[in-house]
Amino acid sequence: MADVAIVGAGQTVFSRSCGVSIRELAFDAFQEALEGLDITTSDIDASIICSAPEYDKQRSPAGLISEYLELTPKPSFYVETVCSSSSTGLRVAWSLVKSGLHKVVAVIGFQKMSELSSRDAAERMGRGADIIWESPFGLTMPAGYAMYARAHMDKYGTTEEHLAKVRVKNSHYGATNPKANYRKELSLEDILKSDMITTPLKKFDCCANADGASCVIVARGDVAKGISEKPIWVMGLGAATDTMTMAGRKQLTGLQCAQEAARQAYKMAGVKPQDIDVAEVHDCFTVSEILAYEDLGFAKPGEGAGLIEDKETYADGKIPVNVDGGLLSKGHPIGATGGSQIRTIVRQLRGQATEAQVKGAEIGLVHNIGGIGQYGNVTILRR
Amino acid sequence: MPVPGLPILEGLYPSTMDLYPFEAKEFNRIHPFYENLRQNRFTTTKCKKCGNTPFPPRVVCPKCNSDDLEWVDLPTQGKVLRFTEEVAGVPLGFEAPLIHALVDLGEGRKFISRVINCKEGQLKEGDTVKLAVFEVPPMIIEKRGGVMEESPRVFFAFEPVK
Repeated sequence: MADVAIVGAGQTVFSRSCGVSIRELAFDAFQEALEGLDITTSDIDASIICSAPEYDKQRSPAGLISEYLELTPKPSFYVETVCSSSSTGLRVAWSLVKSGLHKVVAVIGFQKMSELSSRDAAERMGRGADIIWESPFGLTMPAGYAMYARAHMDKYGTTEEHLAKVRVKNSHYGATNPKANYRKELSLEDILKSDMITTPLKKFDCCANADGASCVIVARGDVAKGISEKPIWVMGLGAATDTMTMAGRKQLTGLQCAQEAARQAYKMAGVKPQDIDVAEVHDCFTVSEILAYEDLGFAKPGEGAGLIEDKETYADGKIPVNVDGGLLSKGHPIGATGGSQIRTIVRQLRGQATEAQVKGAEIGLVHNIGGIGQYGNVTILRR
Repeated sequence: MPVPGLPILEGLYPSTMDLYPFEAKEFNRIHPFYENLRQNRFTTTKCKKCGNTPFPPRVVCPKCNSDDLEWVDLPTQGKVLRFTEEVAGVPLGFEAPLIHALVDLGEGRKFISRVINCKEGQLKEGDTVKLAVFEVPPMIIEKRGGVMEESPRVFFAFEPVK
């Protein structure tokens, strides 16, 4: 049985330029996560700080944030799996609580990307690939996922229109999310006509760099019941790592790290894909959401496009996905993204979603990917 | 030339911003790869004990742990399996269009590379491409007494076979 719970989850508004420093960003998310909880800062036994270090001028941000949030002298340290850093943070927090070492642990993810020019940011992002064998070609995330898109289209007949329909959905929900960076509803035509970035991915097939922070408070079961009215239970955790090089991947029609992480998470939670009421998936690109449908078992391999075509991933569909707008609408502040996805599911399961609330949602899933399919993380939560 | 806002960088080598690998023999044990590359050879290591021939090259065989390896040649021509033409948002140090491809070198060996000397819209899946080797900026190595030495470097991509 689950005996580790999430008691609080917060995030800042995700924006192109936040106008504050990283410590101030982290504080905003921390404050929202503590709202309504019967604890103070001194009740937090440890903090895990999550981000991708290549964007930061600050080195060793754990100590800095720990001091600013007045979490000293409790232990604080840093974890990183690029874009899935804060899901990895949750995994570590779960272990710390489950082991009995700590009772309450804060997982704080952040990224401030606006300090860099966009070309500088792309270059640093590229160094999240193998710096001897692949980064020197200028390989970056959009190009990597574009090759997955090409492979999926070629093998299964997925079209650019299918990809665009993912963005139509996500922009529809993002328009009502007060924390989202991009809040304009987009038509199929807007997306298909947008500028090409890397064939076949266009501007609106891609999420945007953003500034933002997230915070998830994890507690031991008995403590959780005492401090929170609606603890959300961690039922399943899956994590897997694929090759750093894209050349090492077995195929480009799905992410093996996600398939393996999903298998582990479903097994641990004792549930099946059809038991999931609402999901947050890592839609860094439109194609990534279609790959996720299949990797998570919401659709059979090759049938992901059909799910969006039939609108089954809308809030009233068979399996609502990214009804907060996803990364495509919210923006993608690397280290904060996993925590933001967890926050959305926590709010859905508590019946507190400000965007589209999935009626009676009991079991939720978070799928958070690091790099071009290097790190897969799947988390299953229950109210 | 002074860097705006960072005049302290004038004449210095910011190694963490270097786009190319530390190829010099002082920094890695696969430097023969680059020496072979200079002669237009695309090579990797073969385990003399079990015959395993992985790419990228190794210093120890990942299958049988033997360190008795030899350098062998790989094909320098292959077929484009997948590609993407990046026309916007290319990283610092590169110009658009930046063409990336998954190249099949045969014998189940696939390789990610950049395709150069190729215009936008020209490449097709199934096209044959060949190895292209070019000079890149030298690596700067700080020797005893703060003496800065230049270590020449080459890197590679693939280009269409005309």
